[in-house]
Amino acid sequence: MSYYLMLLVGAVLVNNFVLNRFLGCCPFLGVSKKMDTALGMSGAVVFVMTMASAVTWCLDHWLLAPNGLGYIHTLAFILVIASLVQFIDIAMKRFLPPLHAALGIFLPLITTNCAVLGAAEINCKQGSGFLESVFFSFAAAIGFGFALVLFSGIREKLAHADPPRCFRGIAIALVTGGLLSLAFMGFSGLVKLPY
Amino acid sequence: MKTVKSPFKFKGGVHPDYNKELAREQPIEKLPLPAELVISMSQHLGAPAKCLVKVGDFVKRGQVVGEKNGFISVCVRASADGKVKAIEKRLGPAGGKADAIILDTTAKPDGEEAAAPVTEPILPPLDWKTASREDLLKRVEDAGICGMGGAGFPTNVKLNPPPGKRCEYLILNGAECEPYLTADYRVMLENAPRIRLGVEIMRKILGGPAVRIAIEANKPEAIKAMEDAFADIDGNVEIVVLPVLYPQGSEKHQIYATVGRVVPEPPALPIDVGCVVENVGTVAAIADAVELGEPLLTRVTTVSGDAVTTPKNILAPCGTKYSDLVAFCGGEKVPPAKVVSGGTMMGFAVSTLEIATTKTTSGLLLLSPKRVTQYASQPCINCGRCVRACPMNLNAADIAKAVEADDIKAAEDAHVMSCIECGACSFSCPAYRPITQFCRRAKNSIRARMAAEKAKAAAAAKK
Amino acid sequence: MTIAIVCIAGVGLVAAVVLAVADKYLSVKEDPRIGMVTAALPGANCGGCGFPGCDGYARALVAGTAPNGACAAGGDACAAEIAKILGVAATATEKRVALVKCCGTRSEAIRVGDYNGICDCNVAAMTAGGDKGCTYGCLGYGACANVCPKGAISIHDGLAKVDKRLCIGCGKCVAICPKKLIELVPASATIHVLCNNPDKGPSVRKVCGVGCMGCHLCEKNSGGKEAGHFTFQGFLAKVNYENPPTDAQIVAKCPAKCMAEDAHFESGH
Repeated sequence: MSYYLMLLVGAVLVNNFVLNRFLGCCPFLGVSKKMDTALGMSGAVVFVMTMASAVTWCLDHWLLAPNGLGYIHTLAFILVIASLVQFIDIAMKRFLPPLHAALGIFLPLITTNCAVLGAAEINCKQGSGFLESVFFSFAAAIGFGFALVLFSGIREKLAHADPPRCFRGIAIALVTGGLLSLAFMGFSGLVKLPY
Repeated sequence: MKTVKSPFKFKGGVHPDYNKELAREQPIEKLPLPAELVISMSQHLGAPAKCLVKVGDFVKRGQVVGEKNGFISVCVRASADGKVKAIEKRLGPAGGKADAIILDTTAKPDGEEAAAPVTEPILPPLDWKTASREDLLKRVEDAGICGMGGAGFPTNVKLNPPPGKRCEYLILNGAECEPYLTADYRVMLENAPRIRLGVEIMRKILGGPAVRIAIEANKPEAIKAMEDAFADIDGNVEIVVLPVLYPQGSEKHQIYATVGRVVPEPPALPIDVGCVVENVGTVAAIADAVELGEPLLTRVTTVSGDAVTTPKNILAPCGTKYSDLVAFCGGEKVPPAKVVSGGTMMGFAVSTLEIATTKTTSGLLLLSPKRVTQYASQPCINCGRCVRACPMNLNAADIAKAVEADDIKAAEDAHVMSCIECGACSFSCPAYRPITQFCRRAKNSIRARMAAEKAKAAAAAKK
Repeated sequence: MTIAIVCIAGVGLVAAVVLAVADKYLSVKEDPRIGMVTAALPGANCGGCGFPGCDGYARALVAGTAPNGACAAGGDACAAEIAKILGVAATATEKRVALVKCCGTRSEAIRVGDYNGICDCNVAAMTAGGDKGCTYGCLGYGACANVCPKGAISIHDGLAKVDKRLCIGCGKCVAICPKKLIELVPASATIHVLCNNPDKGPSVRKVCGVGCMGCHLCEKNSGGKEAGHFTFQGFLAKVNYENPPTDAQIVAKCPAKCMAEDAHFESGH
């Protein structure tokens, strides 16, 4: 139990996927202009990452590893993730059209989101069990959502501010992201991490 | 009847310099009839009155010259005898233009000598004890009475709550929290018996609510005068002494300070929490309308400021030009840097003294260059003083920043429509930001958008 | 090696089948014309048509709830293309541009006070009706310039001016002006009256050196009342754009110097 708690704290705060491992920066900067879209994107990523890690674990454990095909796991994972995201795209367009319209191009971009692949790769490298893998991916996605929501809150206030012309738009956002990353370094050493 | 201290204190508010000593001790003086009156058709909140006379007509004092135009509207009566010189659009104190009757009070119809002063009442006096509620309400309507505290809401509408809503508390607004103004103070001091009669009449109209007379603690003489006048009144009547805080005179804050009820966000009104708030001047006007048959034709206006020779509290007919008021006060001591219609917090800066008083003009201030600062506003320093000062618990800094960035939607989400435009935020801002102006801009924009949506929906429904 | 290929191919096949099934049962059919119409529209997202952005207008057009030709920015060419896509007859719209009907700069028109507040015309108009002596005139604080999606309006010496070459006729400036003195006029019209004050001549003169005095000389010089090139609102001359005057001489003959020829429009004047 405490092991899972450490995994959660580790993935959300100490080794945050966006702010510490610098994975998934694309949606982090692209969808964080408004809190609503940020929340929607977080939800989508949580779903995708959890499902993807489940499927990729099964694939790796039952198809690739027994056949000694560990070396092409990246290719296989990407194939699975891409199809999964496409499936979610179709399903969301049908069942949640406003969110689909709000996320726009960033929904299919979860495919190339290194955070999803990164989580799958980390699980593969650690050789952890099914439950542990899925939980870790879930925690990592929660961490991603946490950072995204925090950042979107700051950006909503930044939209009303008046920075110098050269800093307007993405520039000040990147500076803020860096500062947020620095702030999260304060969590280092909070827990003794398994990985 | 007892005097109590206010049991509740609202959050926020500011303490501006009051400078009331300039006009406090000046008894109400009656202005000699000016040669020209400018009687606006829009002296109240709601649709302007419809003009009934034409150029060249002779009108008598008290004659209806503008009829009520709709439910939220008030009739306009001539404040003096005279000839209609012109009917044209004139600038009002708030910057808008409205049709106005230019009355030449020196002109007499041919063949008529200077008539003896009229002694007959304009409307037949009523005995409030025997008159019916409907008759009393009709009298308030016919007398053209609207809220004299500044908003100008038609009083007969306010005193007639819609079915299903009952008035539990009648609150008299004697706070007069604006700096410089002393008109209500003098009315309470000198006309307390009229106010008492007005309260009896209003109690009958509203079906016997409890009465709370709210007066700020910096007016002890007025409190004494009201105590004496109301000493032997029956029923649940109390004088509530409020702490000196701006904007104590705002009706929502007065309701909270006296009875502790909170009026919800617009479109909710005080009657939704069972309260009716009326200015003491309006109450005295109701008494005059019923007992003496005298419609609302005059009001007390404080002319003050350090650029006027002798500050005074003047009883002048509605439609008196500001220049006549200033002349009566001995003219300008120094050329004013700013002329304000109203008080310094919520009043309107005007660019000319050719504007005329209305039923709601409580003050005229001439401020010398010493008391006026030109400033350049700076970016928000996020100190939070405006948030602390806002009596409506709004985040004024956020609203101002949103409106500055043209994000009216964010301002609406921050409840800018609840803003009462009291000016406490601009007053407390160390960066000289015109926060109240930002709020007014957002409110205007939102109101225009809502009006356009309503029109669009009405057009679509018609199809 | 072979098994790798087989595995990957197998996974791919499974994924393809799942997606094909999902596409068949879950996909939302959208009218392909929406995309075509959106591509035909100029993409300025100015909202001049009254719809939220070009995509909104495209959807309304395909749904049949919007009239063709409401896009001022796209003009005739765009309307014709949309008509072809939708298979309906095209309606011709003439290009209209905005005209600021005031020529009272700070040098010509008096100001009655020092306005010290937010630099926005609507806010300034709320304060004593604005700090200009003429209560109908342009205040010059740039509300129109700020709202113009093409940056076609610039403020010179306290007066707004529209650059005809950049104006797309979306009408946003018309809506935002608190004095309602911006009008959409046909782009082909060359003679304009730049005044919005209908008061009598002497009172206009008191507040502005170049205000229209209602002398009717422009009407007389262009063929009189029968020719119908001008209408009058109070003491203010207004060009009848359905039947505009063509003689540029009347501009020079105006004693108030409140008329202009087309050249006045270009920014920088």
